[in-house]
Amino acid sequence: MIKKYRMIYDENLCIGCQSCSIACRVENNVSDSFFRLQVRMETHGIFPNLAMQFSRHACVMCQNAPCVSVCPTHASFQTKDGLTHIDERLCISCKYCIVACPYEARFINPHTKAVEKCTFCFDNRVSKEILPACVSICPTEALSFGDLNDKNSTVSQKSHKNYFTFPKEYLRTFPKVALIPHKKGTKS
Amino acid sequence: MMNVWGSMAQYEAIAWSWEIAVYLFLAGLSSGSTIIGLLVKWNRHERDTYSIWDAMIKAGAITAPVSLILGLILLIVDLGKPFSFYWLFVSYNFNSVMTLGVLFLLIYTPTVIVFMLLVFEQKFVKYRAYILVEWLIDYIKSFHHYSKIIEYFLFATALCIGAYTGFLLCAIYAIPMWNSPILPILFLTSGVSSGIAVNILIGLIFFKSTMSEESVKYLLVLDLRVILTEFPLIGILFIGMGYEGGDSLVAVKDALSTGLWAFIFWFGVIGIGLLLPLLTVIIALKSHVYRVGYIWMNSIVVILGVIMLRYYIIYAGQIYTGQ
Repeated sequence: MIKKYRMIYDENLCIGCQSCSIACRVENNVSDSFFRLQVRMETHGIFPNLAMQFSRHACVMCQNAPCVSVCPTHASFQTKDGLTHIDERLCISCKYCIVACPYEARFINPHTKAVEKCTFCFDNRVSKEILPACVSICPTEALSFGDLNDKNSTVSQKSHKNYFTFPKEYLRTFPKVALIPHKKGTKS
Repeated sequence: MMNVWGSMAQYEAIAWSWEIAVYLFLAGLSSGSTIIGLLVKWNRHERDTYSIWDAMIKAGAITAPVSLILGLILLIVDLGKPFSFYWLFVSYNFNSVMTLGVLFLLIYTPTVIVFMLLVFEQKFVKYRAYILVEWLIDYIKSFHHYSKIIEYFLFATALCIGAYTGFLLCAIYAIPMWNSPILPILFLTSGVSSGIAVNILIGLIFFKSTMSEESVKYLLVLDLRVILTEFPLIGILFIGMGYEGGDSLVAVKDALSTGLWAFIFWFGVIGIGLLLPLLTVIIALKSHVYRVGYIWMNSIVVILGVIMLRYYIIYAGQIYTGQ
């Protein structure tokens, strides 16, 4: 059966510990000073009314993926499950997908020279029914991952209880990464 | 500064740099010089003759293939994996403007090379290597009844090449300055402008004996019109970005007011590239004298302006995304 993957990032639970970022590097052998995943933090407001905002930057696995439609050789392609992957053999490294990605999720691997990005750890973990590295390591369960077609999965249950936003929703790329927005306000 | 979350270098890097800007210029120039060569042939060339070509047709016939091939070399060198470029001819994605560009180039490149061989046939006959292409030239000449149709076809493919470079950027909605339908028209127009300038320069340098004053005058009048068209096109590009609101509005404000790229736009693209040639063309035409000095200067500033426009769109587009 076709999976309907969903990753949920709860901005309220994130503490910016960076363990997801480290786990990603270790699991996927990401080259030094390159990132498939970053969690950035910003402080908002005026003392003493401060609040911290965390934002997660990685591939959001668009349903309407601009990287797939611009790729001249089908090196960027979408699987039946709607995940976008890169066929390193077909990639000529023209960087058209890098400029086309509204989420700045892609970069050139300095060793293979092919384009690289988050894969939801599909080959190494998700296809073996193991959670992606970032999700499994998160100490506060700010990240959850699963199949929306499975009614008992954490993501299905969370999607009934929470209000979601999606990164750059106005572009209508329909990402598989959903956000539970930061609820704590500040007087600025 | 190193952030807690790591280096931002990868996010600030310019993915498409000078190679692409120069390629866009060279492809536009190739298309423009073909268009100009054909326009002169259709409108200014009296007799249908094989031997005495107008200097502008010769210049167009040589500029088009040379600039295109230089551009294509740059394009391949810019690839992260230059030796894998053959995949472009193996695996096609018809949704991608880059694939469409490859298809246009597959038609256009051989056609302009053949056009060059036909125009310079007399020159090439001397060389021994000519026998390699002789059969091809003779074969093509057997179609001379259709020459007008073939010229229209070449003209149409040249238009496609000029416009595709704009669509290549226009398809990218992540970058507000590129995501504008005016870009293909702007690139085509400025490509024609650079075609006029380069053809006149090449004509002055190499084919002075067949240079006709009337053709040059015709082209200068055309250049005046083209430059006057470029002003509103550039205006519409930025006005459109402004009315788009959101990120686009921020991007256009930054791109026109901050740093080196705003300077290159106002001083280089507008000042040197459009106002200066406008001035020289008006003076050259008004005084009714064929002054080589004016024409040289006019051509050089037009070329500089068109190169700077491509650089500006490529760099400022990627730097100022309004985020």
